[in-house]
Amino acid sequence: MLIEIARIITAAAISWALFVAVDLVFRLPERGGVSGARAIAAAVAEKGGSLHGGSMMGNIVCSPDASAGTLLAACGVAIAGIPGGLAAAALVFIGNRICHDPGYAGTCGAVLATGVITAASYAGLAPEDFIAGMVLAILSIQGLSHIHASRLLEKLWGWRA
Amino acid sequence: MGVACLIEGQLPLAVCAGVGLVAAIRVVLERSTLLKLPYLNVLGFAIAGSIALLIPHPLAILAACAYFVGSTLESNAIASTFAGGRDRE
Repeated sequence: MLIEIARIITAAAISWALFVAVDLVFRLPERGGVSGARAIAAAVAEKGGSLHGGSMMGNIVCSPDASAGTLLAACGVAIAGIPGGLAAAALVFIGNRICHDPGYAGTCGAVLATGVITAASYAGLAPEDFIAGMVLAILSIQGLSHIHASRLLEKLWGWRA
Repeated sequence: MGVACLIEGQLPLAVCAGVGLVAAIRVVLERSTLLKLPYLNVLGFAIAGSIALLIPHPLAILAACAYFVGSTLESNAIASTFAGGRDRE
């Protein structure tokens, strides 16, 4: 039981680092990609959060980004191995186009996550751990405190920009 | 003890269900519609993960992706509707 918990926490840390890094590389915090994302950023900033962090949170809500790519790639790898992960990446690409997202953060994140999850399975981390880990990682950004999460993302964006 | 036995070997599913429950409660408690959407996003993650963990069939990947993209599109539509006119380019 304790080992299972440790595996899920490790997977959460890896997927958190992966999706935040890919989102920062694809400049998600720079501005909201669609008007809805900009509205969410404004609402977060109004409550005391930061605008760039809010933009990234809005972009995550409004289109499948690297976090969604990581989760769906983990689902794909858990069910059907590497082909499953790549199928998930293709579906994320279609999802991006459906949501009018011009970027490739989701697709790129899904392909990268397929590689990382497959590599981690040799180190004893099951793809199922990454599904739970990614759910915990997104909880830490979107589900605990919008104000603190947006400030943290703003700080990370400051290093990137 | 009974709960521990129940989730033995099913910890990832228990985590998804627990996070989904927390997100659902926060969606209900949050007053601002726009700020409900990030919590709803967490709920979408938890449900998509649960679908893949509960159904070990290749088509479950399609089901999880379709559910997740659909819920994202809905959030996008709700947020864009709220933004309409105020910040349209």
